Amino acid sequence: MAEGTGSEQLEKRVDTPEPDPIADRSFSMPLLLFSLLMIGTLVWALYDEVVGQRPWKDLQSDFVSRYSRRLKRIKPQQKNAEAEIKQSDEYQQLNTAVLDAEAEVKTRATEIQKRISQIDRQVNDITEPFQNARAWIAAKNYEMEMTPSESGKNSIRQNLAERNKEPIQVAYHDESGKVVEDDPNFHELETMYNKLRDEKAQLVTELIKLQAPANEARQKRDKYLQDNLVGLTEQQVSQLITKMDNFEYRIKQIHVAEANIVDRCESCHLGAREPITLTAARSSIGRKVFVSHPEKDLLTIHDPERFGCSTCHGGNGRATVSAEKGHGRYKHWLWPLYYKENVQAGCNQCHNADRVTPMATVLNRGKDLFQNRGCVGCHRYEGFDRDADALATARQSIKQLELDRDARLREIAQTRLAADTAPSDEEATRLLARVDALRQMISQIDAQIDQHDVQSKYLMQDVKRVGPNLKEMKAKLRKEWIPVWLSDPQAFRPGTKMPTFRLADEEIKALSAFLWQAALGRDDAERATVSMRVARQPVGNEAHGKELFKSIGCLACHSIDGRAIDMGDQKIGGDFAADLSRVGEKANYDYIVRWVHNPRERISPYSPSQKKDLLPSDYQAKNLPFRFGDDSSKSPIDGRELLVQNMTVMPNFRLSDQDARDIATFLTNWRRAMPGYNEPRYPDASFMDDTSLFARGAKLAKDYGCAGCHEIRGYEDEQRIGTELTPEGSKPLERLDFALLTEDAKMGVDPFTGKDVARGKWYDHKGFFEYKLRSPGVYEKGKERVEDQVLRMPNIYLEDQDIDALTTFLLGSVVTSLPQSIRYNPEGQKKQVQDGWWVVQKYNCMGCHNVLIGQESTLMKLPMYQGADGKEQLPPRLTSEGARVNPDWLLHFLNDPSLTTDAERGTLGRRPVGPVRTAAQPATAQTQAGTARPQNAGTQELGLLAQAMMQTNPIPGLPTQAGPLEPQPGMNRNGVRRYLKARMPTFNFSPNELQALVNFFMGADAQQQPHIPEPMVPLTADEQGLARALFTSNAAPCLKCHMTGDPGHDALATAPNFLASAERLKPAWTARWLLDPQLISPGTSMPSELFVHDDQRDRWVFNGPTPPAFQSYEGDHVNLLVRYMFQLSPDETRRLGTGGAPAAPQTAPATATPATAPAQTSRSFDKQRFDKHWRKTLASMKGPLRVP
Amino acid sequence: MLKRLSLIFMLIALSATLLAACGKGDDDEPEEDEAPPKVKFQPKGNEGTISGVVKFDGPVPTPQRIDMSGDANCAAAPGAKTVDDVTVTDGKLANVYVYLKAPSLDRFSYDVPDANVLDQQGCRYTPRVLGLMVGQTLRVTNSDPTAHNVHPSPRQNTEWNKSQPPNAPPIEAKFNRPETLIPVKCNQHPWMKAHVGVLAHPYFAVTDNEGKYSIKDVPPGKYTLTAWHEKFGEQPMKDFEVKASESKTQDFSFGAKAAYAPTSLKVEPAFIVPSR
Repeated sequence: MAEGTGSEQLEKRVDTPEPDPIADRSFSMPLLLFSLLMIGTLVWALYDEVVGQRPWKDLQSDFVSRYSRRLKRIKPQQKNAEAEIKQSDEYQQLNTAVLDAEAEVKTRATEIQKRISQIDRQVNDITEPFQNARAWIAAKNYEMEMTPSESGKNSIRQNLAERNKEPIQVAYHDESGKVVEDDPNFHELETMYNKLRDEKAQLVTELIKLQAPANEARQKRDKYLQDNLVGLTEQQVSQLITKMDNFEYRIKQIHVAEANIVDRCESCHLGAREPITLTAARSSIGRKVFVSHPEKDLLTIHDPERFGCSTCHGGNGRATVSAEKGHGRYKHWLWPLYYKENVQAGCNQCHNADRVTPMATVLNRGKDLFQNRGCVGCHRYEGFDRDADALATARQSIKQLELDRDARLREIAQTRLAADTAPSDEEATRLLARVDALRQMISQIDAQIDQHDVQSKYLMQDVKRVGPNLKEMKAKLRKEWIPVWLSDPQAFRPGTKMPTFRLADEEIKALSAFLWQAALGRDDAERATVSMRVARQPVGNEAHGKELFKSIGCLACHSIDGRAIDMGDQKIGGDFAADLSRVGEKANYDYIVRWVHNPRERISPYSPSQKKDLLPSDYQAKNLPFRFGDDSSKSPIDGRELLVQNMTVMPNFRLSDQDARDIATFLTNWRRAMPGYNEPRYPDASFMDDTSLFARGAKLAKDYGCAGCHEIRGYEDEQRIGTELTPEGSKPLERLDFALLTEDAKMGVDPFTGKDVARGKWYDHKGFFEYKLRSPGVYEKGKERVEDQVLRMPNIYLEDQDIDALTTFLLGSVVTSLPQSIRYNPEGQKKQVQDGWWVVQKYNCMGCHNVLIGQESTLMKLPMYQGADGKEQLPPRLTSEGARVNPDWLLHFLNDPSLTTDAERGTLGRRPVGPVRTAAQPATAQTQAGTARPQNAGTQELGLLAQAMMQTNPIPGLPTQAGPLEPQPGMNRNGVRRYLKARMPTFNFSPNELQALVNFFMGADAQQQPHIPEPMVPLTADEQGLARALFTSNAAPCLKCHMTGDPGHDALATAPNFLASAERLKPAWTARWLLDPQLISPGTSMPSELFVHDDQRDRWVFNGPTPPAFQSYEGDHVNLLVRYMFQLSPDETRRLGTGGAPAAPQTAPATATPATAPAQTSRSFDKQRFDKHWRKTLASMKGPLRVP
Repeated sequence: MLKRLSLIFMLIALSATLLAACGKGDDDEPEEDEAPPKVKFQPKGNEGTISGVVKFDGPVPTPQRIDMSGDANCAAAPGAKTVDDVTVTDGKLANVYVYLKAPSLDRFSYDVPDANVLDQQGCRYTPRVLGLMVGQTLRVTNSDPTAHNVHPSPRQNTEWNKSQPPNAPPIEAKFNRPETLIPVKCNQHPWMKAHVGVLAHPYFAVTDNEGKYSIKDVPPGKYTLTAWHEKFGEQPMKDFEVKASESKTQDFSFGAKAAYAPTSLKVEPAFIVPSR
């Protein structure tokens, strides 16, 4: 058509020259437009190339102007500060010292320098002719060596000899600077050259020696300035200003070749590593992008030049076109920059095997929650099952070895048979030798099995469950409470670890029925066992129980309603273990008494090899008493190790029976005494005995993984039901089941509120984890509920910061591509520290103790431990424990913190064993003498339900017998600090854990193991007298605060007994402690500045009046006291007198002589001097002999 | 038409791209600055005075006796061996720390007076409650023939704990941040307690044995006037106005009811509870 029209028009044009639509029509307008467009595009392309693609250029110039402004503002400030310091007397003194030292050597130094420059000039003058000659000779020598004929050699030799004699023209400057011409031969020139060089070397050495004092003084002066100036010197600031003036506008890049990382982050984040701390405040740099890295210490450990930025932070380090691209927050980048709240996820890439990573508090909290909240009950995570894994391996090995043993036994029988019928004597001898070898092998196998068996015993001791043992439910719980609890645990105990399973009512019923029926107490034999092991208990003293609960250390792990202990109306205490506010409404009083007394005590041991709970009848069959514990843990049936403890981390507080009853009475009763309290009424729960529900409940328990956290009969070996989470953070996004929320996630809509999410799209790992943790069922939204396909993960009700912590942990749980060389693979003591952390965190040591520098224990934060009195009652800080104590002693102490002697242990009986005990054996008969307070127990009225719970037995037919509890070694006391109200409990660590803990403390302080104490210089009789006099003098009131063994005095003491020093402490630590205890334990009751340095004799002397005999004593006082403490005998302590009263007034007159050489002592604390001299003190303590 | 449309479209696309390239992605708002430096306070001559009496209502608690037998020198010292935390004379309460609080006061810096002395005599602190200004020297002296250790446990200042044997020179220290109040303790004599209030301004006073206090040279303005007692806690009085050259009287009243129960960590055997 277009062609047709064209040709028609062509014809018409011939006839009538009408305006030609092509030739006559102007295309200039479109052409112009398009050219403009093209020019525009070109401009845009150029603009984009220069500016658009390089937004960092603008940023860099902005940074330069802002930073220069800032630097110029602080320069005069720093100048003033510097000038002020330079004006100070100390600086002037140091400066004078520098000038004096310089002046003293000035003449000689100038002389030397002058001579050196002369020599330099001379050497310079003669070097060229000398080197020419030498080179010629060397060449000739080579030529001679290469010449084959002897005659040829001779001619060259001759030539050389002649040349050596030939004069060489040289011109050099002499000492007065005149040019001298000379013509020495080569040898003369060489001698001259060497002489000059030697002389110069000598002069340089002399000059260095000469200037040494001045240099030292200068260093001291500069150090003083550095130490006293806050911030940079004026000169340093000027250097920075110059750096900004000559700023190079380019991409700033870090290349880490070994990890194949290219990070250009610092092209924009220019202030990250500047020496001045930059903040977003207007007076500082004023823009967030330029602020300093917030953790300077972290950058020192992880130098960005070696580690890059994106290794830790995530993001696309190469991108430079926009913040979005650089931060990797777009579809095509798999590892976006971590958000601020999750930034520590980056640490876990390399520190994934650490249980605790110092400084990474959020990540550590995530790991704590993963373990303590029971995530680990359903989800496997590498490292978190170390005990259970090791136990499984040990058991597997035992099985394997037993098979092996059987095979060997068969082989022996066959070989013996073969030997009997062997064709020759030789063959018979050989076969019999084989039999002997096999028998020896069996003995080796037996030894291995034994070891694995012992290990399995230890490991069984180590494996813990997050939740309570449900086998003991019938002895412990109020029956009707169980279904109520299962349907909504948070309603009864807000913040509980027990998650809420999204179950229908009939499912709750079936589950409760199953659990109840599976518990111990199924038949008469079991009921008799339960009643034998859970004795009836008389009522205790509630007020005393409250005091104990508040002070003994329960609050380090448990929380309680503040009203219970008169401390406000908020929850108070730790979150490591359960909140105990309402425990009295659910649990049986007798059981609580027993639990508080010793939580590890089981009703019946479990045999993993036989897969059954053992009853007295199993023991009777072998004529054995029904007795089990750490010392009798072998099965009467097959001799294998039994599970003899409850799998709880709760330790034994070594309470007397009465104290246990008091605490239990307090827990049971306090709420009932509150105004407006109503006993909860629970619906009838008789369905729990309906056996038809058992199978359904059993399936539910299995499906929902109840046995991950609880001990349930028949489910002891259940596998975990959840996904393994070790690589969860690097799971492809498509494999995270956002289900019907995928669109919401991509649009950035909150599935709960329907509103926009603040950070926008949440279709990423962070978003998935956060919503999953907030409400795991959210991904079921809009789906049809089909049984067996429901999401089983229960609701865990976490606080927001805990969601952040767990999300951080999961985001960091990645399969990293970083090479081993830059990951954290601790070895030696660092490895021991990491191994130890698993134990430290498992038992919540940090609930009471300060283990990590900067970490506060739960107790330290409680109101009653504030103030001077409270601080005195805090458990000791353990930040220097390895340096402080002897590892052997520590092992002993951790095993039994009461330090009970064998003799004391021998006097403890065991409670009578047997199913029948007469009611005439009342509990009052054995109220221990250990509790020093009036026994008004039993007189107090229990609340209605408590009475009801004591009177009606949860198990029908249970006899109502009152009975004593097992005796406790080391009852009611701490081994070391008996004055502390908080008690170091007995944790029943296995030998494995004991060793891990000792190694942890020793490793953390880089202490050598095994520890062989240095021999100590014995005290002379005079020294003994001196030290004794000082110990008892008025001025050195050691025994006012330290324990002496006198119970009256010790109750008021605030420090340990000196008698234990020798076996407990290390002398080096003790000397440091005496010199400045605040350095080791801030806030300690032990005062500082007890000693001052005597400059005259270079030693530490006591800071105060000393007994007269000291005037003639020349030794170091710290040294003397440490040696005295380490050689203290019980006799000597008696001589010191107890009770803190000044025992011998004649040695402690109030008008004692003033301190020795007061004129020469410096009173203020000097850190440098301290460092220098305590080592000396220490060195002088060691001697060839050790006095027992 | 089509051409024009495509042209417009291209122009729009171009400008959009340019705009996008120019826009900044990050939230780069600068943050607000810290407080401006303080100005030296200049009295205007219209300053007022606050004075008053702190009364004590209800039965006076019987003071606990102290068992000083642990240190013969303390036991031998003169003076009543009772805890003097609640000192009531004729219904008037001593050792109450009364002070002003207001943002207007914090804008200035004030002259720091000479050292204030805390003496240890007869194994007690004299005075028991002491006011200091930031940067003012606290001079602790030991008039006893026995050794003490001086151990303040502040929260916002640096903690220290120094031994002071008999005849030792005074310990001098300064506190560089306001803190009400810092408990001071001697670990060797657990009954020895003192409290030091540290403020950045001089408007504070401690009641004497007649329960009287007086705060002088108060610039006119609105304040929170607070009375603090170590056993009975704080009584803040908000919107307390002092007019120009006014002499204002403000009494306080404490009662035994407010006394807090001893916590479970108190070292009780040091005290002998009166057996009545």
